[in-house]
Amino acid sequence: MKRVEVRLSIAAVAPLLDLIKAVADELRVHVAVPVALVGADVDFAEVWREELLKSQREDCDRLFSLFDQEFFSDGVVAFDRDNAEAVLRACAALRLRFRGTHLEKITDEELEALEASSNMDRFAETEKKAFACFIFLDELQKIILKYLDPLSADGDEEIDR
Amino acid sequence: MELRRYNVLRLLILRLTPHSSNTSPQQVPQPIIVQHGLWRVVFLDDAVTRMSYAVMVLRKIFGFDEAKATHHMMEAHEHGRTIVWVGLRENAEAYVFSLQQWHLSATLEADETS
Repeated sequence: MKRVEVRLSIAAVAPLLDLIKAVADELRVHVAVPVALVGADVDFAEVWREELLKSQREDCDRLFSLFDQEFFSDGVVAFDRDNAEAVLRACAALRLRFRGTHLEKITDEELEALEASSNMDRFAETEKKAFACFIFLDELQKIILKYLDPLSADGDEEIDR
Repeated sequence: MELRRYNVLRLLILRLTPHSSNTSPQQVPQPIIVQHGLWRVVFLDDAVTRMSYAVMVLRKIFGFDEAKATHHMMEAHEHGRTIVWVGLRENAEAYVFSLQQWHLSATLEADETS
């Protein structure tokens, strides 16, 4: 099975991991996307929520398993068919959580501008770090999406979202 | 509660089987439709999720080709929502669960035309 190794900057990524871990811990008890079940009873909605949380926890655990001895010694993280989708989902959940908590005071327009310029001079240190995590998780998603489907067109940059 | 747990397990099994979108009413036994009506799976836009990710997930869950998945993603992006599937409630629930498991916003709504 094909395995892709990506070398990351330890100096850039390691300082982000504590905050990402803290947000991942929040996802152990909060679903990233609100449960939207029309007309379902309470028991069903609760089982639904529990299953989503279980899935989130497993995905975040897979993400953190990337940052092992190999990462801290030479900066390498490895993807294969076994972990790529789980890590992709974990990144999606974490980005949504960051947006809804640490970055909630920033408007969509400001966030878009930041993604283009990364100029965060007027923001607090905590927001700067959260934004760095937000961007790092996005970059990780880009790498995995390319790995899963090398031929797919990445139209994200072409459309102003 | 056990029955509900069974239903969620059923959702998990269903999510592994990509289906064509907009299942025609002819594919479903008519009496069931008459009794329960049809339900829509509505995929909602969000300002965070990467577009290529949304396209990949729509392809994976619904079996769409790239063009169809991109069309739905763009419709959600421009109009805030897009109907990605119509059919029986239990199947619609399974699809919404799968979308939520990939952290895409989605909801169910009754198809008033059925």
